[in-house]
Amino acid sequence: MKESIISIQNAVIDMKDEDIKGLVQRCLDEGVTPIEIIEQGLSKGLDVVGERFDAGDYYLADLIMAGEIVTEATNLLSAKMSPADIGKKGKVILATVHGDVHDIGKKIVGMILSASGYEIVDLGADVPSEKIVDAIKSTGIHLVGLSVLLTTMVHNLKEICDMLTAAGLREKVKIAIGGACCSQHLANEMGVDAFGESAVAAVGIFDGFRRELGQT
Amino acid sequence: MESMSPRERVIRTLEGKPVDRVPCFCAMMESRTANEILGKPLISAEFITANPVSSFFMNTLPEKLTKPIARWTLINTLHKRNVAQAKMGFDAIWALYDDSWHFPDAKTIAITSGSIFNMIPDGFGDMSYMYRSPGIKTPEDFEAWPYWPDADAQAHKVYKYFKKFAAEYGENNCIVGYGFFGGLQESMNWTFGIDKVPIWIKKHPNYVNRYLDIIEEIHVKTENAMLDAGVPVVLITDDFAFKTGPFLSPKMVEEVFGHRYKRIIKNVHGRGAKFILHSCGDNTKLFDVFIGWGVDGLHAYENTSNVDICNEKKIHGDKVTIIGGVGIDYLLTERSKDEEIVDKVKELISKLGPGGRFMLSPVHSEDSMPAHKLQVMLDAVKKYGEYPIAVS
Repeated sequence: MKESIISIQNAVIDMKDEDIKGLVQRCLDEGVTPIEIIEQGLSKGLDVVGERFDAGDYYLADLIMAGEIVTEATNLLSAKMSPADIGKKGKVILATVHGDVHDIGKKIVGMILSASGYEIVDLGADVPSEKIVDAIKSTGIHLVGLSVLLTTMVHNLKEICDMLTAAGLREKVKIAIGGACCSQHLANEMGVDAFGESAVAAVGIFDGFRRELGQT
Repeated sequence: MESMSPRERVIRTLEGKPVDRVPCFCAMMESRTANEILGKPLISAEFITANPVSSFFMNTLPEKLTKPIARWTLINTLHKRNVAQAKMGFDAIWALYDDSWHFPDAKTIAITSGSIFNMIPDGFGDMSYMYRSPGIKTPEDFEAWPYWPDADAQAHKVYKYFKKFAAEYGENNCIVGYGFFGGLQESMNWTFGIDKVPIWIKKHPNYVNRYLDIIEEIHVKTENAMLDAGVPVVLITDDFAFKTGPFLSPKMVEEVFGHRYKRIIKNVHGRGAKFILHSCGDNTKLFDVFIGWGVDGLHAYENTSNVDICNEKKIHGDKVTIIGGVGIDYLLTERSKDEEIVDKVKELISKLGPGGRFMLSPVHSEDSMPAHKLQVMLDAVKKYGEYPIAVS
């Protein structure tokens, strides 16, 4: 692997945001393609950050800083990429359920999924169930991440599942949940497909969904 | 051992001295529960947020004309929550008074420390509030923020409120006073956006320091006001962690906040009072940091996070008073059975009571907490919490 690619990995791992623009340009000057920079440099660096987070060596603030660096780099690279290469893992709908305005965790999940190759359609916070289901129907996106922090609002998760069932879409759509009040128990109770304990877990969950849906 | 007053029981527990029974602490209280206890009529959310008449005035008239209405609603709500805790008979009550908020329109609260909250219905017919967004996104926003708190004015109001409140309820309860909404990191998270705080710390350290100077000053001044008014214990809420661990590394927490908290707590101790820190989530990696700052008690040890309250009692129970234990995700909701609450209280008392330095408490406030469930918890502590601990 080229030294310049390794430098990009290290910039993400060590959170050296002041270096990233120059390192990306150096890679491009050496003939490395934007996709290679993303896959071999940024994503690999982010994998290490995720591993260190899982091991308890890194904290959420470190994830945010690393995500910020990756976002800055991908913004530079996206102008040089073909539309087909952007979000090539597929699209994910993210939303915080109705009655709940907390969306910080969701934004972090979006940032990490985006860095991992997903295109994010963020419906925002306090989103009515009908709007989420309508978005699934109109976009044809079958990967959905729902955020809920308030215990008083968890019933919306089941409502969304029921509406998808009524529309004949439940089997085609994979739903993951996350947020302060979420647990595997709640995921089972509400009938969703997965629970993510941390933002880092989201990539593995949605990669798994893609395999289950035959999208890989 | 002779029966103690709630105040004596709580103070001695915070000092690690023997007491007659495990004290019970009320982790603040939401309006629904307070209204149930006081039997007062609900203040409908529509009173301000949806009523066309009031919202017209709130949206069109200058704030100085409409603030008294919104302010009265808010202050009345906070006062009722404080009174309801006292009337229930908790040993320690978490009394909040913050009169500094602004109301730019019918649905918005501007928290003076730099963030925007929504006025919302709580689902039970009452007014409540919920974080909406950062108020400061750039250094330019910081310079232009129109609502910075007036620490002296807030301290004066806090003194007046707590002087009266302590005279009425301080005899039969240990008041744990909280005079400005939001701790140092928590306020920063709201103000800059939690996903931007690490970037501000790295790129704008001068602004972070200026910001924390403002928040530290108002906490010190409101705490002095409460202590002058006769409040024996003060508290700051500062959520340093999520359910899986801290937001910032322990090293960064110490660097950014440590010297400030040490000053705050030293001031409280210098006045002969006690200090409790509330921090949600799994703070396992931060407890040594907090103890190093000099806290007397730590709340909340949320059962839905990865923290192990029993293990913490073993590790730190000789240095700090552990406060918490009863979950609000199930036990203190309509869904639980009374006997399940009693069983949990007995379990907590048997595991955490021996050796003292334990106050039983809900791990958080919650809109959906029925007063009856709190009462079951409180009654069980009084029934089974006497020293020497006899439940197993």
